[in-house]
Amino acid sequence: MTFTDWVAQAENYVFLAIAIPMLFSAWRVVASQNVVHSVLYLVGALAGSAALFLLLGSEFVAWTVVLVYIGAVVVLFLFGIMITRAPLGQDVELSQPLRQRLPAAVVSGSLFLLMTGAMFDAFGGDVIPETEATRTFDVGISIFERWVIPFEVVSVILLAALVGGIVLARRDPDEMTEEVVSESEEVPQ
Amino acid sequence: MTLADYLPIVLMAAVGIGFAAVSLWLSWRLAVNNPTPEKLAPYECGIVPLQEPVERFPVKFYLVAMLFVIFDVEIIFLFAWAVRFEQHGWAGVAAVGIFVALLIETLIYVWKRGALDWNVARRERYRTVVAERLEESQRVGEAA
Amino acid sequence: MNIDYHALAPEIILALTVVAVLVVDLLPVEKFWTAVVGLGGLFLSFIPVLTLGFCESLEFCDDTGVRVLFGDSYVVDTFSLVLKGVFLGGAFISILLSVGYLESDRFWQGEYYFLLLSSALGAVVLASSRDLITLFVGLELVTGPTFLMAGWRKGDARSNEAALKFFIIGVISAAILLFGMSLVYGVTGETTFTGIRLASAGIVDQPLFTMGVVFTLLGFAFKVSAVPFHFWTPDTYEGAPTPVTAYLSVVSKAAGFVGLLVLCYLAFAELRNIWGAALWILAALSMTVGNLIALKQTNVVRLLGYSSIAQGGFMLVPFGAAVTAGASPAQLEDAFFATVTYLLIYAFMNLGAFAVVIAVRNRLVTAEMDAWGGLYNYAPGLATMLAIFFLSLAGVPPLAGWFAKLVMFRSALSIGGGWAIALAVIAVLNAVIGFAYYAKVVKAAWFDPIPEAIPADELRGRSIVPSLQFALGLTVVAVVLLGFFPDVIARLGDLTTGFVSGF
Repeated sequence: MTFTDWVAQAENYVFLAIAIPMLFSAWRVVASQNVVHSVLYLVGALAGSAALFLLLGSEFVAWTVVLVYIGAVVVLFLFGIMITRAPLGQDVELSQPLRQRLPAAVVSGSLFLLMTGAMFDAFGGDVIPETEATRTFDVGISIFERWVIPFEVVSVILLAALVGGIVLARRDPDEMTEEVVSESEEVPQ
Repeated sequence: MTLADYLPIVLMAAVGIGFAAVSLWLSWRLAVNNPTPEKLAPYECGIVPLQEPVERFPVKFYLVAMLFVIFDVEIIFLFAWAVRFEQHGWAGVAAVGIFVALLIETLIYVWKRGALDWNVARRERYRTVVAERLEESQRVGEAA
Repeated sequence: MNIDYHALAPEIILALTVVAVLVVDLLPVEKFWTAVVGLGGLFLSFIPVLTLGFCESLEFCDDTGVRVLFGDSYVVDTFSLVLKGVFLGGAFISILLSVGYLESDRFWQGEYYFLLLSSALGAVVLASSRDLITLFVGLELVTGPTFLMAGWRKGDARSNEAALKFFIIGVISAAILLFGMSLVYGVTGETTFTGIRLASAGIVDQPLFTMGVVFTLLGFAFKVSAVPFHFWTPDTYEGAPTPVTAYLSVVSKAAGFVGLLVLCYLAFAELRNIWGAALWILAALSMTVGNLIALKQTNVVRLLGYSSIAQGGFMLVPFGAAVTAGASPAQLEDAFFATVTYLLIYAFMNLGAFAVVIAVRNRLVTAEMDAWGGLYNYAPGLATMLAIFFLSLAGVPPLAGWFAKLVMFRSALSIGGGWAIALAVIAVLNAVIGFAYYAKVVKAAWFDPIPEAIPADELRGRSIVPSLQFALGLTVVAVVLLGFFPDVIARLGDLTTGFVSGF
């Protein structure tokens, strides 16, 4: 694929229009000094990935990202920040000293170079074939026939996660009786 | 489906974003803008907070959020089944049925454990106090 | 859709048990019954494992050989059945260990058994999975509940630390694993192991494929706590409730090894030089670092934590030996067999060792080795069992541990070649170091005087609860029996069917 071919494709501009803001918000997620802002930038990065999935013709995955990640997981993140005592404003402790930043930059930079090199080596000259979008029905077929066991296992994982979460988050019954005693003074006279 | 099919969606998004932008711009142009530190505080007319609260939200909120996530994931899987449920046949119904049954057990568990019940302790206490008072007033009434 | 219900019977029964435990927990009955239902369910789901295993000699059973379900992605063969047996047995003994322990903690008993059983269900699914998606989902079900179980003692800061460290490391390793799997899928376009192996023939030299394989292996290296990915292990093992530690060090670790076995010998069979080299390094480091640090431990639980890292290194030795280019299929089968055998024997002896630790802690509370001095004088039975399990872990004949080490050395030496021999030499040196610290605990219990600080009435102590006695009995019988009659393992059937040359 030559550069002129690349310029001639409308999809490539759409890709750039999605990818550049996505990169920016991904950068802000880690660089922002305010945790709440980080979460909001994460929404941008996730929305970008959903748009990329749409561009590749996987609608089901795209809307899953929107519903589950942007809709639910980000809300969970915000709740997590609210429940813990993380300071809401700027947090100077979030910025690391140079001696920690430098090795991290070296490691992530070299990993990035390695990955990009390997990616180019594997798929460098390939053109993504223009196929029909994957229909949700076909996704359903693979879930309910081929991968029915992992599908059922997922429901057990969800069940276990919630049961364990309740055990860890709730107070033990003997602490609750203390609560009754302490709150009895608040009963309206 | 090609990219061109998304044109209506892109237009819709453009109209939505445009409307929001125009509204914000208009309100910024038209409104009197005279900020003071008091006005910029989160609760303008409240008491000035002295420190961060120990617990901003009770953990109970988190349980509700977790329930939400779990049933959100369930909806996604149901969606994949429901678009053409008749073609998945009874095997599909069975697969989804087991999945939903396990999640309903989640709901029953949460319910029975009282995780959906807010402030049980105080309500129980309140009930007993009210009942005692009622009894007392009746006794007083009878005595009179 | 035609489903072989007999092949899925262990999973189905176990899933019903999981649901039943939670229902019983909500009923107004004694919490004790949740454990009974759990144990019964594990026992019931063990029956179809047996009927599937001895299918050819049973009348009602339709012998179809290896049962392949869902388009190559789920396979029931001898290997998976043996591993299912280990997982069910390990979960059974872990529940037995937990009963007495949980009685001191009056709340959330039902939930504990529910989580332990769902983790075991994940392990049972994992043993049969032959595709990336089933493998990953199974592994998540194995580890997910254990994060929560590690933090079961909510009021204890050490338990919180254990759960938090385990959770963060576990989640990061899952992310690395998933990233590696996605690269493998991206390059090969297949998720089933047979498909990956077929597709990989032409792209062995592709760097991206190599990276995918390495990331996948690293994800599992965290799970089996191989050095240098072991940092969570000692703290988590020490801080978590001891029965949970026993479960983690056996079932959860075995699940990681099952993943490594099926991936290396099936999916990545064409890349033996890469995974062989990677696991060679991990094996040498795990054995050496684990043993050297264990040598300095004074706390028996922490010592067992480092010992389990070192034992994991021994299990990796056959993988590392397979790096030799000229290894024949028969030699590779031998290496595969060696890891499975080691895993099987390790499961019993490590569970037994933890059962002893729990029993001793019932009396002494502490797990500091100094306080265990003179155990033989007031609890001769426990001291004997302690000697049996610890000497078995050290590999002293005629206890089961020696056979595990024997097959491990045999496989490495039969493959031969400089690298395999070098690894075998490192393993021998480590077996000697290992003997030193296992023997130190045994010596303390048998020959040291009773510390004066311990009041005499505490030594008379409480009797061991029946469930713990049962667990100790089971593991002692297994360790002694497997030591005297190691042929039993060879009689389990051809474990390597479908692996290596069966392709």
